[in-house]
Amino acid sequence: MAQISIAPAGFPVMQEKGRSSLYFVWRGVLGDPVARLAAAVLLLVVLGGLFAPVIAPYDPFEANPALRLQPPGTEGHLLGLDNHGRDILSRLIYGARITLIAGVVPVLIGALISIPLGMIGAWYNRVGEIIMRIMDVLFAFPMVLLAVMLAAFLGPGLPNTIVALVIVLVPYNTRVVYASACQQRSLAYIEAAHAVATPDRKILFVEMLPNVVSESIVYSCTIVGSVVITAAGLSFLGLGVQPPAAEWGIMTSEGRTYLFVAPHMSTIPGIAITILVMAFNLLGDSLRDSLDPRTRLQLVRRDRSDSSPERAN
Amino acid sequence: MSLGRYIVARLLYSVPVLIGVTIVVFLSIQLVPGDVARTILGFSASEDRVQVLRTQLGLDRPLVIQYGHWFVNVISGDLGISIAQQIPVAKILIGKTVNSLILMFASLFLVISVGFVLSCLSAGRFRTLTDRIIVVITMILASMPVFWLGILLLYFFGVKLQMFPISGMYNMADPGGLGQLLHHLVLPAVTTAASSIAIVTRVSRSALIDVLSQPYILASAARGLPRRDVVLKHGVRNMLPTFANISGLQIGYLFGSAIFSEIIFNWPGVGLQLYNSILQRDTPMIQGCVLVVAIVFVLGNLLADVVVHLLDPRRH
Repeated sequence: MAQISIAPAGFPVMQEKGRSSLYFVWRGVLGDPVARLAAAVLLLVVLGGLFAPVIAPYDPFEANPALRLQPPGTEGHLLGLDNHGRDILSRLIYGARITLIAGVVPVLIGALISIPLGMIGAWYNRVGEIIMRIMDVLFAFPMVLLAVMLAAFLGPGLPNTIVALVIVLVPYNTRVVYASACQQRSLAYIEAAHAVATPDRKILFVEMLPNVVSESIVYSCTIVGSVVITAAGLSFLGLGVQPPAAEWGIMTSEGRTYLFVAPHMSTIPGIAITILVMAFNLLGDSLRDSLDPRTRLQLVRRDRSDSSPERAN
Repeated sequence: MSLGRYIVARLLYSVPVLIGVTIVVFLSIQLVPGDVARTILGFSASEDRVQVLRTQLGLDRPLVIQYGHWFVNVISGDLGISIAQQIPVAKILIGKTVNSLILMFASLFLVISVGFVLSCLSAGRFRTLTDRIIVVITMILASMPVFWLGILLLYFFGVKLQMFPISGMYNMADPGGLGQLLHHLVLPAVTTAASSIAIVTRVSRSALIDVLSQPYILASAARGLPRRDVVLKHGVRNMLPTFANISGLQIGYLFGSAIFSEIIFNWPGVGLQLYNSILQRDTPMIQGCVLVVAIVFVLGNLLADVVVHLLDPRRH
């Protein structure tokens, strides 16, 4: 019902009948070759991280001092070796684990906190005022700066990085949920539920939740990329995951010292981060487009011209 | 709403936000696990010295009173004394803030000028080769970690080609001169601006494409106006509010990116100071840096909102 209410006035909304959001995700994301490629890249990185012990040619911590700083293409070491003589390809494959966890987990936890926060804020005006004013204050800090400050005070390590990033992310996602929940609140189905004395708890988490959650998910998907970059950035600054852990931000940072003698050491993990982030961004864009009512109309029209060629002129 | 009233309303709205900012910065120190004074001095320090520092920082008093004192001091420009340098934090920060602002303005200038040109080129030649190249390049730029881009630029333009200096604001042997400053500014400013240029271009491009598909554009093309005039005289005007809005939003990202480029290019600004203070566990200095950046950020946003308000034709 939410989809129909978004469609512009005067547009024949009947075509949308029976089409769930999932259908448009399916059509939009999987029908888009770029998004398919991005999804494949992501799958590759995830599988690489999962099966790292099987795939990686060496142990990520196994040092071979005789070959230290050797460039890519060295016998048996496709991407070369680092300053301790560790195989860069193996570290890259193992590093996918922490890099992915530090990028994705904060977004998930952030969404789990933001969704109830935004809905409760939209439902109870006074509580909403307080919540949104607190969020305004957090908005007053540039995202990376707040993450750096929190990580610096919390201390290094993966759990603290995740906590810092969650605090940074919550205001953004809460604002998205809040705006969407405010819209939903004035719709007839909520009014109806309210009129038959449904408990607030049930209105929010049974009636409203499914209509609010999709926007939050789409938003989350579009920011995973920048969270990956921020998490890697914290490690680069020495505030996140600590060496000798294999993580792409740390690898870039370690390579910085040897930039003049072995530029491959920081270039390769940087390329890996860029590709991963690009995959997330492209997939996020595609997902957003496929759920955006405006682009959705194009899909509906394409459907019509697919099924009835005589009308497609 | 008249412009004057809009600005006053916006200013008044910033006051509680700024007070909230001081509360967050003040409370952030509570996140330090264990005893703050002990953390600063290290575990080998004697209990007496820790106690002295505790009293000096006011850590032995109730939190609300601590905040009250700290807030009154901050209002009067006293941000405490740097533990590492034993000089007032505010004194150190003034120079650093100016240096950071120079970098920020240069980056913002790049974002606005390059972003504008690229989005006009791209949308004006929608679906041509130029458009596709710009789309791909901005896609890559938007996904690059800023610290990695900085390292790349430093390596290629600073070390390989020796075109630009790789460290500091001036040549230490022979300091001074605007030319020298600009020469030192190029790499850090490009590093800071890159991903924001990409975002501004992508958003403004789609806004301009929307505008250019409207009937009045078709009408002006039908009247025989050259494409360049159609885009630049008729199309761009309605893209400007979006452009100003997204450019204003970049201020926050620029502050974040500037931390990394200041560290990589050794630019003596607030970001580099923040990094060094974190390494030295100089808590008052860390708080001072964050506070200054947040205040500048809030004021920058205010300025951006006023500009967006001015450019929005629906205001009238």
